[in-house]
Amino acid sequence: MGTIIEAAATATESSLGAVQLAGTAARFCLKRAGRTPDELDLLINVGVYLDNNISEPAIAALIQEDIGANTEQHPGGGQGTFSFDVRNGACGLLTGIYLADGMLAAGTIKTGIVVAADSDPDPGISEGFVFPAVGGAILVSADDQRTGFTAFRFATFPEFAGLFQSDLNWRQAAPDGTRQPGRNILTVNVADTYATRAADCAESTTRELAAASALDLDEVGLLVATAPVPGFAGELARRLGISAGRVASLPRSLAGAHTAAPAVALEPANLAAAGTTIFVSAGAGITVAAALYRG
Amino acid sequence: MENHDQPAGDGARWMALAGGVGGSPRGASYACRFAGIGACVPAGRLTTDELMASTKYKTDIELERLTGVRKRPVVRAGEDSYTLALGAARDALAHAGIDAGDLDMLLVSSISRHVGGMRIQIEPPVSVSLKEALGARRAITTDISNACAGMLTGVFILNDLVRQGRIRRGMVVSGEYISELGRNAAQEVRDVLSDQLPSLTLGDAGAAAIVERAPDGAPGIEVAGFTTVARHSRLCVAFPATIGPGTTMHTKAREIHQAGTDEAVPLLREMLDQAGLQFGEIDYLVPHQTSVRAIRKGMEQWSQDLGATPKHVVVTVDELGNTSSTTLFVALWKYLNEGRLAPGDRVMLLALASGLEVGIVIFRPGQLVERYGHDH
Repeated sequence: MGTIIEAAATATESSLGAVQLAGTAARFCLKRAGRTPDELDLLINVGVYLDNNISEPAIAALIQEDIGANTEQHPGGGQGTFSFDVRNGACGLLTGIYLADGMLAAGTIKTGIVVAADSDPDPGISEGFVFPAVGGAILVSADDQRTGFTAFRFATFPEFAGLFQSDLNWRQAAPDGTRQPGRNILTVNVADTYATRAADCAESTTRELAAASALDLDEVGLLVATAPVPGFAGELARRLGISAGRVASLPRSLAGAHTAAPAVALEPANLAAAGTTIFVSAGAGITVAAALYRG
Repeated sequence: MENHDQPAGDGARWMALAGGVGGSPRGASYACRFAGIGACVPAGRLTTDELMASTKYKTDIELERLTGVRKRPVVRAGEDSYTLALGAARDALAHAGIDAGDLDMLLVSSISRHVGGMRIQIEPPVSVSLKEALGARRAITTDISNACAGMLTGVFILNDLVRQGRIRRGMVVSGEYISELGRNAAQEVRDVLSDQLPSLTLGDAGAAAIVERAPDGAPGIEVAGFTTVARHSRLCVAFPATIGPGTTMHTKAREIHQAGTDEAVPLLREMLDQAGLQFGEIDYLVPHQTSVRAIRKGMEQWSQDLGATPKHVVVTVDELGNTSSTTLFVALWKYLNEGRLAPGDRVMLLALASGLEVGIVIFRPGQLVERYGHDH
């Protein structure tokens, strides 16, 4: 018995905010898996850059209502949906899957979905926001026959925390009166050296995961590697000696996608054909999450 | 962990129930308990009279009479969400008598993410720097967010992982610097119908809870459940302020209180059934602390619908205000320090939060009380 990925889906309609992108991706994902929203016992949102920079409630609750997953109680008539947010930057999807895997293994839930989306909360005002607007969703469940996820590994490298930072800060009105009366402004700062350091950290964590799992990297059929900077997957694959044909790639328009990137990379992939898949994500912190999956 | 009778019927539960109704299908199930509860309550105090005297508009709001909140803790210079969380985490470790290096997981569940004064940190996750500051070398970290139910959500997650043996010990910590929402509300509130009125009850505090594997048969967490009744998801919403630094929160107070009270009834019944308990067998109910009146009205309905009343209902909102995600654990910490809990007491933590999130944990403190200098 293992935790398997039933389906992955994405949404890219440019007119939608993050909450709608995540909800749309969730609906696509459910449809692809042949599931109804009410079958979801768990809904985790891992998006970071959200409509109006909302901090409460959990975005997952808004998405749960929007997709119509057990929005009203029917005690004794089955299980409701439990929704909350994970905020672990670009490692959020794998972190959410890790938590869902734990709840699946415990029997706490039978089906869960992890959704992600980012969009510029304040277009034209935010500074340094370069991530493409995209939503993603990955549906996981317990399976009696298949192996699914077999190992996870997480690491943090706080010495590189300064290379990727974002915050909201009040900026007083400009002296020339062009911005009245002042504003909370989102600022994202990513250093030029971040991409290289992220690849360094991801490489070491991936090698640790492989070693702990007695895995030869030659056995890897598919590498799903994502970070919110373009070119990450190719660079990590080169370092690990994984050929380009075994790397899940993002469409050019979504290069540098943030929290939804693993779903984007996974959507066209065939996990069963890949045999062994390694997921690796790197985010601000620097944080790295890695997971091993047997399709 | 005690064995309880399985519920009648098909055992269906609306709540996501840690371990499922019938226990884990994959592998062993360990017992789980609280190893330490910590808090960091800032020394500053703001009375309701002082806050209401600061409103921009002249109001006739009798906030203290309406809510029962007399004062709330407020940060002083140099304190923010991060420092409160760090202080609470260290306090919890000290009470538990363990080193941060022994934590397998560190969850940060603050709603407010003020790091460095009024700056709101989005990335990196706050948990990365807290892990470093604490020296929690091997801990898996993540921030989670679930409104005022965030800390109890963390306990739910940790309990689940401990029970399976995936981790031995983990901590969830929150630091809430939210008195600034009250300051912002004071600039906009005009009358008692204002949707920012609840912001005037908020206080600052950090809290931390360490959850660990317990010896078989030892007292600890007996049931843990959560659900989200999302048709109420937009009754309380917070986002960055437009009038100045920080945040504003907009709440349909009457509606969310009523929804919380109503929705909790069948869920309380479910969890009591799962634990094999009657409501009257709960020694201490620790509900989310929004106002004295809301707690009293909720209790009246729950007692009527469930046919009994817990022996004690914990109220701290009068002195501490609503400290959002930390309220349950600041209250628990206070009662532990005051020696009010006995090892065998049954304590129910009840989170009711924007979402609408409903979380319930029933536990017995056991050895926890000794950690606060009380042996009963």
